[in-house]
Amino acid sequence: MRKKVLVVDDDPDVITFNVSVLEENGYSTLAARNGEEGLKKIKEEKPDLVILDVLMPKQSGIRLYRELKTNEALESTRVIILSGIAKKTFLRSQKALTEFGGEPVPEPEIYLEKPVEAEELAQAVKSIIG
Amino acid sequence: MEAGKPARITRPDCWEEGMKIEKLLFVTKFEELWFDALQSLLDLRTAGLNHVVFLNVIEREKVAMHRGTGYRKEEEVKLREMANIRFIDWAEHLFEKGMEVGAYITVGNLVHQVISACEKEGVDLIVIGRPRQGRLEQIYSGSDVTEIIRRANIPVLVYKYLHPDAQHPERPFERPLLAMDGSPASLLSVKYLKGLKGVISKIHVMNVIEEKYLKSASGMTVQKARKEARSRLEAICEEFEGEGISAKPHVYAGKPAAEIEKAARECQCTLIVLGSSAKGSWKERFIGSTPEALSVKSIYPTLLIPPGDA
Repeated sequence: MRKKVLVVDDDPDVITFNVSVLEENGYSTLAARNGEEGLKKIKEEKPDLVILDVLMPKQSGIRLYRELKTNEALESTRVIILSGIAKKTFLRSQKALTEFGGEPVPEPEIYLEKPVEAEELAQAVKSIIG
Repeated sequence: MEAGKPARITRPDCWEEGMKIEKLLFVTKFEELWFDALQSLLDLRTAGLNHVVFLNVIEREKVAMHRGTGYRKEEEVKLREMANIRFIDWAEHLFEKGMEVGAYITVGNLVHQVISACEKEGVDLIVIGRPRQGRLEQIYSGSDVTEIIRRANIPVLVYKYLHPDAQHPERPFERPLLAMDGSPASLLSVKYLKGLKGVISKIHVMNVIEEKYLKSASGMTVQKARKEARSRLEAICEEFEGEGISAKPHVYAGKPAAEIEKAARECQCTLIVLGSSAKGSWKERFIGSTPEALSVKSIYPTLLIPPGDA
């Protein structure tokens, strides 16, 4: 059975690119346009991997990632962050949210900065879910 | 953005309870409103602000079909990417402070896109700039701002940031001037500002006795009107004082928009606050054009509060 990957990004061009790379590499795909929609699909579809953007309407990837990693039922969700926002900012933001009374969250397994080459993306996905 | 024309911006359910500003929509064309304008509003974090949504609307005319060129897709991509680069930079700054950030970059009509973003995000405050442009363009921009205010059922802050005559205080909510006319909208403004007690250091509360009411009146009548107005303002000031906000009443007489502007200057205020509709006011002293005139022409940032039953 093909592994299922959810792409969460508000940019339709990025979704199209990621989906085509993933399908060429044998994965089945789903897409969501913001964090809120992404969370709903994660709960419903239980994807093997989520490729998550950070700056999005409704709910950012920072909040969605935090929600995943602090929710017992979802914390095992594998995540690759793919964003124009720097990794350093992502980590500082998580640190600030922890300081405001949140739980500490682990660093994402892989953090890719946009734009990403097709091979780089495929390799990153393969390294996590095979 | 989805097609269709939302009729009105509705207020989030929680708005009546505490009137907090937790989420604001920052509308910018990058010409009139820059990031330091937003930074000056970060004081509002004390009052609960934790989410900023950026909106950049690319005017259709900039990318529309031109004879012989067709739809200028390349221009759209360029403008989108330019906006994206700015927003990423701004968002990184806010994310690092532990804030939540979202962004929309859209092509279309400014008013429709603002309304649509408000509906999707459920924001508590719209922040929009008054552009520094030619006279004709300013008239059009003014009507966009006016239309947003007319349709908004949430407060709208019109920032005068890059205008040559504008006041651009470092902390706009520090010393607001609240212009009262007794309308439901202005009474709601009191409730709204009380929710910002951690941000405001002193508030000046004023009422304008309009010139036309003075013309045929005797001195006694004028004094009586002043006394009545003063008494109403003192009661409002007491409400603020009860919340721990220092407040001072002022009565002016003359043309409302000009007198409000004068009072803001005399009291060294950082912001003008008034109801966006005069319906049901004490003597309907603020005609509809007063909020409109101040939002477009005043040199002060202007916060317009809609009536509760709108």
